[in-house]
Amino acid sequence: MCRKYLAFARVAWALTLEYRAQILIWMMSSFLMVIMLAVWLSISRNGTVNGFAPGDFVAYYMIGWIVRNLTAVWTAWELDLAIREGRLSPLLLKPIHPIHNEIAANWVEKSLRVFIVLPIAVVVLLITPGASLILTPLTLVAFILAVAGAWLLVFLSDYLVGMLAFWTSQTAAFIEGYYGVRLLLSGIIAPLAMFPPAAQAALRWTPFPYMLNFPTEILTGRVTTLEQLFISFGIQFVWVAIFAVIVVAVWRRAIRSYSAVGA
Amino acid sequence: MPAQIHVDQLSKHYQVHEKEPGLAGSLRSFVARKYRTVKAVDGVSFDIGAGEMIGFLGPNGAGKTTTLKVLSGLLYPTSGVATVMGFTPNKREAAYLKQFTLVMGQKQQLLWDLPAVETFLVNQAIYEIPRAEFDATVKELDQLLDLGPLLKKQVRKLSLGERMKCELAAALLHRPKILFLDEPTIGLDVTMQVRIRDFIGAYNQRYGATIILTSHYMADVTALCDRIVVIDKGKVLYDGNFRELIERIAPYKILRLQFEQPAACEQLASYGTVESCEGLTAVLHVPRAQATEAAARLLNHREIKIDDINFEDPPVEDVIREVFSGKVNPLVSA
Repeated sequence: MCRKYLAFARVAWALTLEYRAQILIWMMSSFLMVIMLAVWLSISRNGTVNGFAPGDFVAYYMIGWIVRNLTAVWTAWELDLAIREGRLSPLLLKPIHPIHNEIAANWVEKSLRVFIVLPIAVVVLLITPGASLILTPLTLVAFILAVAGAWLLVFLSDYLVGMLAFWTSQTAAFIEGYYGVRLLLSGIIAPLAMFPPAAQAALRWTPFPYMLNFPTEILTGRVTTLEQLFISFGIQFVWVAIFAVIVVAVWRRAIRSYSAVGA
Repeated sequence: MPAQIHVDQLSKHYQVHEKEPGLAGSLRSFVARKYRTVKAVDGVSFDIGAGEMIGFLGPNGAGKTTTLKVLSGLLYPTSGVATVMGFTPNKREAAYLKQFTLVMGQKQQLLWDLPAVETFLVNQAIYEIPRAEFDATVKELDQLLDLGPLLKKQVRKLSLGERMKCELAAALLHRPKILFLDEPTIGLDVTMQVRIRDFIGAYNQRYGATIILTSHYMADVTALCDRIVVIDKGKVLYDGNFRELIERIAPYKILRLQFEQPAACEQLASYGTVESCEGLTAVLHVPRAQATEAAARLLNHREIKIDDINFEDPPVEDVIREVFSGKVNPLVSA
């Protein structure tokens, strides 16, 4: 399996280099985080908002920007396109599940993004007074694990939404709708700490906070107790497991009714 | 010996939603969708032994490609049985997937923006082909298909014929024992068609691979396949020897006559069916068994002066068209 991933990664790398300009533009699209930062800085310039001073917003959004890039997934679009254009058929003839190529390609693209985004975020964090992070071995390890969990959540949920293309040709609407929900509820438009306490309490049980807000808050110091940390990891893990089971089940059903389009 | 490919009363039905044209139709379809069942494959049965090369003939929409997709595991049968080498294709077991290949002339598996060799390397990893075997196969395919410098060019820069050669090579890297070739020569120029045809024949000889070939080009089928399966509207109309079908449907030879001077057409009628007789030319249909004798008699005729005489087999296309039109039942001799 390792050799297959390496083969997929080689191709993904070659394609990434082919499409250098495109990658840069896609990275800029996660610039939404930077735009929202500008918005919140402007809102908070005279004080704090819900306990967030300007420096806190910078910390949240710079770490959030890194997390956003590390969890960027576009597999729903790829699946939708492949299914509608009948390009899934050649993939189904191969003795390997098409999901593996998606995963390998995604990881390769991450490595390129990180090279660009990480230095910029670090520089901004260093030059902003009041942008403080809690960087200890514990928080760093927890951060890495939480980002891995976040990636799994985003990837699996994306794959699930993409699989709708097996049953409808209107998948684009569902994908966009899902992205909109995720933008709001995972902490991109606003840190979840800005939400009313009741909303925050309800959201805790959904998968969305664990896609961005949770990993980010580990480093910005809002996860203050070990108990909080373990409960959050627990909820994240359960959601990953739920999505994994649903994806496997839905895939089986989808393949059953799949009719290859075209000749 | 049990058949390698066994198909018994295979059916595949699709639900297709119908929409009437125009705005009214769109609105109606939005509220209440109408569905219609399309019987793409309707009770098809045949058995194929290892190493056979079979041609599937049929008009568009006959069910040829659908049958191949069921045998490849891409589609689940609605009813009936389809097994290949003992495997149930739609279970898509890795062991089965490694044994066959499906090449669809209108679809591609080559990565568009990279040289073909990149796709080859991915396939090598996916099919777990050992390095030495992979190199040997690429070399042989290169020889048979004359790939040469094509492998290093970006696929999107290749011409259709060059791309088809690379597609075939990519599909055969794992030396499958069973080939499903769906219109592999479609859109190719005559030279390339012959090239691909020769390659398919050579592959069958060299590796003893079982090959099912679908094509609209009669030349593909006549050149390669002794046995054909004629499919139309999801049903098998004929399954057997190609030559026998021709002789059954069109058990005559065509005699084209050129006269020195206009001949009396009524005199020709005793030699066979007169298809046309005008001026200095005439076309006769003569039963095969009597063709040579009729020609000899005509040449020795005292009154009819023949300048040139040509024997022809009835055009295969016409014969097959007769079968498709339903005017003849190929299972019954004409």
